[in-house]
Amino acid sequence: MVEPGAGCLIAMPPSNPSPPPPPASAPVKDTAGAGRWREFFFGERGLPRLFFYLPLGFMVLFLVVPMALTLVWSVFPRDRFWMKPGFTLVAYEKFFDSGRVDTFIASIYHSGISVVVAFVIGFPIAVFVRRRIPLRAQHAVMLLFILPFMVSELIRTFALRPVLGRTGLVNNTLVNLGIISEPISIILYSPLATIIGEVMSFLPFLIFASFLAMEAVERYVFEVCDDLGSRGFNLFKDILIPLAAPGIFAGSLFIFVNGIGLYIIPFLLGGPAAANAGVIVTNAIGGLDYPLAMAISVIMMTLMIGLLYLGHRLFDLTRILEPIRR
Amino acid sequence: MMTEYSVEVENLGKDFGPVRALNTVSFQVRSGSYFVLLGPSGGGKTTILRLIGGFERPSRGHVRLMGQDVTGLPPNKRGSTMVFQNYALFPHMNVERNVGYGLKLRRLPKQEIRERMEAMLEMVGLAGLNRRMPNELSGGQQQRVQLARSLVLGTDILLLDEPLASLDAKLRKEMCLELKHIQERVGITFLHVTHNQEEAMTIADRIAVIADGDLIEEAAPREIYETPQTSFTAGFIGENNLFRGRIEKVEADHVTAVLSAGKVRVPRRGLEVSEEQEVTVSIRSELLTLTASPPEGDGNQSLPAEFVEQVFLGLTTNYLAKLEDGQQVLARGIGEGEGESFAPGAPLHIVWETKDGLLLVK
Repeated sequence: MVEPGAGCLIAMPPSNPSPPPPPASAPVKDTAGAGRWREFFFGERGLPRLFFYLPLGFMVLFLVVPMALTLVWSVFPRDRFWMKPGFTLVAYEKFFDSGRVDTFIASIYHSGISVVVAFVIGFPIAVFVRRRIPLRAQHAVMLLFILPFMVSELIRTFALRPVLGRTGLVNNTLVNLGIISEPISIILYSPLATIIGEVMSFLPFLIFASFLAMEAVERYVFEVCDDLGSRGFNLFKDILIPLAAPGIFAGSLFIFVNGIGLYIIPFLLGGPAAANAGVIVTNAIGGLDYPLAMAISVIMMTLMIGLLYLGHRLFDLTRILEPIRR
Repeated sequence: MMTEYSVEVENLGKDFGPVRALNTVSFQVRSGSYFVLLGPSGGGKTTILRLIGGFERPSRGHVRLMGQDVTGLPPNKRGSTMVFQNYALFPHMNVERNVGYGLKLRRLPKQEIRERMEAMLEMVGLAGLNRRMPNELSGGQQQRVQLARSLVLGTDILLLDEPLASLDAKLRKEMCLELKHIQERVGITFLHVTHNQEEAMTIADRIAVIADGDLIEEAAPREIYETPQTSFTAGFIGENNLFRGRIEKVEADHVTAVLSAGKVRVPRRGLEVSEEQEVTVSIRSELLTLTASPPEGDGNQSLPAEFVEQVFLGLTTNYLAKLEDGQQVLARGIGEGEGESFAPGAPLHIVWETKDGLLLVK
């Protein structure tokens, strides 16, 4: 813990429980009351000490309390427009005894595919930037991957519709090239479109996380690999992926959770066949079924905490975004 | 079949952009010898090693390993492997996986990998530590693992880039001798880069002195120490006193050189020299004595100086004196020294036997 007084923002004389009488020459202006106030605002045991607890307060107020409320509200019975105190597992029943659980599992599956695709595309990009781009330019190149974020997520996702649609760019190109005779209608409004949208939106996160992990892989590793003849697939499988595993995990988890929870992409691209947990929650709220929305959120939180725990056991998440070091 | 020279470097040079890291260097390393590239930091010795290993492409010249031109080949296609400076192990692999990895890439049978790996760990003194991770090993042990990882490949040439630089002094001495013994046992060529002259003297069969992108000179350790051919080497190796001057008189086997502090006679050593030529006279500090009155006769040379101080170093004592022109002179004696003692500022003469003066023209 922080040593008492270490947090003093302004250097103050130490306050003793029984202060020695002030030197005769020192002007004694402070009344006892003002001294107490000064002590409170600037003293060792005063307000500055509390600054250290601000983040804690923030976490409690905006993380622990909402999560606890989510859990509590998920077992409340439904009222007409709201909920009323009580205990019932109806919301969970509604989730598990309906198509919702199938949708949820399907969205886990599709999200998993997005993660794999993003990894296959993104990790080599991160390795390439780390190995082949001059050291001074590496961070600048990384910044380029932020550029898409300057366009709203909504617009970026929406822009995929004319690309993937029945008379969209992809279909027209394929037809004009004579590869297919009829436009493929299942690209848009299918899980495929959702996966494409998710990869497009979240790829940069995997690249960032992988790059950070790769950045901490010492340069000698590549030279030793050159010397021993570890290249291509072997280099990735034996050396780079194990070393960057915590970073890859962090980036993948981000994509996975967003793939399940973020509702814009399946809403705009997926159609009814490709809903995810985010869509179910949105629909539940739209139907004023708050306990159901809360129950699904609790299930997602549980999944997330489980994954984090697994990741922690595997890679030690206190050192996430770092490679395994000596 | 063994070739006579396992490493042949021909007019090798390297530029990094406008910076010339290595001028044009040529040398040969006899098969099965321990060859050391010695020189100050930034002199180009590591560049030479990396060019030989294939980690850099040369700007000019050729590298031949085992008689074969490998100039354009990648590191793993050459008959060499490298031991890197900074404990360069794979941090996520334990000792045996680190050592066996190169063989695994060569798709050898598991049983053979295991046998060769165990044998190599035994040789470098790490038997039984198979399961340790790199972070559970000391610096010396990590370098042993690196050594095993390279030697297990069975290449003809081992390149060592300052392998002992990050170890503490005592460990470095031990490892130094051990490297030498391992090299004698495996019998392959070791090419070792270091800036530490003691390390070089301990292990080398031959030393090449590299500085400012050039090979200054190449010789056996004893020759390098006793009769360096250049004033650079004389200044870098051992603790030599270098005096600049010019030649006044050339005789059959001696020359007379005028130094700023006086005239001295130096053996000519068969060198082609002429009068008025700028030369350097080098005298090893352990061959120099301080005395109050100069000795008579032709067998000794002396220069007037004044005493500065003495520093007791345990095995030896350093005596510092100052010539009239202000140049510091170092004389070393064994132990506390039986010679005369002087007060600071006392006038004296520095004396050496005429045969110990070394004339250097480069």
